[in-house]
Amino acid sequence: MTADKRTRDEIFAVVKSNIQEIVEGAKGIDIKETDSMRDFGADSLEIVEVVSRSMKDLKIKVPRTELSGAKNLKDLLDLFEKFAAAPPS
Amino acid sequence: MPGPREAERRVVVTGMGVMTPIGEALDDYIESLLAGRSAVTRWKAGDERCASKIGGDMSDFDLGAHLRRAGEAYPEGLVQSLRRLMRPTPRCGRITAPAAVQAFVDAGLPHSALPPERFGHVLAGHNVNGNYVYEGHKTYLEEPEYIDPLFGVVAEDTDVLSVITELLTLRGPSFTVGGACATGNLGIMVATDLLRSGRVDAALVTGPSNDLDPPSLHSWVIIEALSFKSFNDDPTRASRPFDALREGFVPSEGAAAVVLETLAGARARGARVRAEILGAAAASDATRLTKPDQNGQVRSMRDALLDARVEPRDVDYVNAHATSTPLGDAVEVAAIKEVFGEHAYRLPVNSTKSMLGHCLSAAGLVELVATILQMERGVLHPTINQERKDPELDLDFVPNHARPARIRVGISNGFGFGGLNSCVVVGRPE
Repeated sequence: MTADKRTRDEIFAVVKSNIQEIVEGAKGIDIKETDSMRDFGADSLEIVEVVSRSMKDLKIKVPRTELSGAKNLKDLLDLFEKFAAAPPS
Repeated sequence: MPGPREAERRVVVTGMGVMTPIGEALDDYIESLLAGRSAVTRWKAGDERCASKIGGDMSDFDLGAHLRRAGEAYPEGLVQSLRRLMRPTPRCGRITAPAAVQAFVDAGLPHSALPPERFGHVLAGHNVNGNYVYEGHKTYLEEPEYIDPLFGVVAEDTDVLSVITELLTLRGPSFTVGGACATGNLGIMVATDLLRSGRVDAALVTGPSNDLDPPSLHSWVIIEALSFKSFNDDPTRASRPFDALREGFVPSEGAAAVVLETLAGARARGARVRAEILGAAAASDATRLTKPDQNGQVRSMRDALLDARVEPRDVDYVNAHATSTPLGDAVEVAAIKEVFGEHAYRLPVNSTKSMLGHCLSAAGLVELVATILQMERGVLHPTINQERKDPELDLDFVPNHARPARIRVGISNGFGFGGLNSCVVVGRPE
C-alpha cells in the first residue's frame, strides 16, 4: 500500500522529532532526507532507538532484514512509506 | 589479636552519596533520619491487583528536577553527561547514578593521583530492573516490534554498572555482586578485598535502587514477608522493627554509593577520610529458605570482628538488619546477644529501615552511609514506631528519639533470603 506525498512528510516529521530528541548532535539542525544519522554523531544504539520508536509512533512494522539495508534517512523513509498504511480519510 | 594493618592494606571511605525518598543528599538524608521521618507511603503508581500497597516510593523521581535542586553540587560536565546517559536509562539507573556522582564528588574526584585504570566499580545489586523487565514483557506480548529496542542492553544489571563507569570514567575491574538483602555488605567486602590485595587503588561501590515489579511484590505478600495486614491505611507506622506489632518488611526504592581507597592512597592525595572499613565477612546457612538462622548471623558478625581485629566489647553501635519481620528481628537480637554477651545490653542497636523501609540491594549501602553519618555527628538516629514493647526483645533500640552518642566502632548487619549473612565493621578515622 503506497502513502501519498503528505504522508511521507508526516513520516519524516515523526522521524525528525525522534532524531532530535535522541541524538544529541542533531539538536537544532535542519535535518534533510539526504542526511544520515551518523552525520550527527549517532551511535548504533541511538539509530536503532530512533527507528524503533518511529515505527511504534507511526504504527508500522518493517522487517528487520529490510531495515538493515537503509544507508540514510531517504532509504529509511522509502521503507516506512512502503510499509505504512494509508492515512484515514 | 593483631594490631592494625599497614596503611597499604587499610581501607577507608573517602566519599558517599545517597538517593532516597527521604533525602537526595547526605545532609537531607541524615536530617530526615534524626527527625524520625518515615519514607513509607501508599505506592503512587501501584498495580491495583497487587496486594503490596505501601513502600518507599520514588516512582515520580525527576532527574531534571533533582539536578536543578542540586545546583552546583555536581560539576557541569557531569551534569551534561548525566542528562545524556540517563535519557534511555530505566528508572533504576536514573535514581542510582546521581548517588554515584555524589560519592565521586564528595571524595574530591577526579584526581590526578587516581588513574582511571586503577579505579574499580562494584555494583552491589541484582534483578535491579524488575519492573522495567516486567513492562517490557507485557509490551512484547502485545507486539514484539514495539518493545524498547534497547531492552536487551539496558535491562541487564550490568547496564547500571557500565553506565556509571562511563559517566565517571572508571577503567579498572568492574562487575556486579549479588546476595539478596546481604548484597550491599557483600559489595563492601569484595571491594575491600580488591583494595587490600592491591588489585585497585580505589573502588566505587554502588547500591542500586531496585525497580520493584508487581509479581515479586505480590509473591512477598503471599509468603507473608511484607507488611500488608494492618498498616496499609497508616503506612508510616508499617516499618516497626523490634516492636510487638511488627508484621513484615516494607520494600523501598533508594540508592547509595561510597568511594573506598587505601589509607595510604587517601593520605598521599590529601583526601578527607570519612571512616575506615575495619573488616567485613559473609556466611551462608546452606539453605534456599527465607528463614533466618542465628548460627549464620553469629558467624558473620564474629568473622567480621576477627577480620577487623576488634573485640566485641569495643563495638559501640549496631546498625541492625532489622527488617520488621516477626522472626527475623527476634533471631537477630538473639544473635547479637550471643556475639556480644553482657555488652549487648550496653550497645545501642537501631534500625534505619524503621524510617526508610527495606532498600533490598541498596540496604547495605544506605545503612553504611547512615552509620558513618551518625558516627561523624556523634548522634544515634531513632528506631521509630516503638509503641508496644516485645518482651522477648530487650536491647536498647534507640526508641523513637535521636540522642547523642560517641561511636568509635560500629557494625552494620545484612541478612538475606537464602541464608546469606553479612556484616561490615566501620571505625572512626584516627
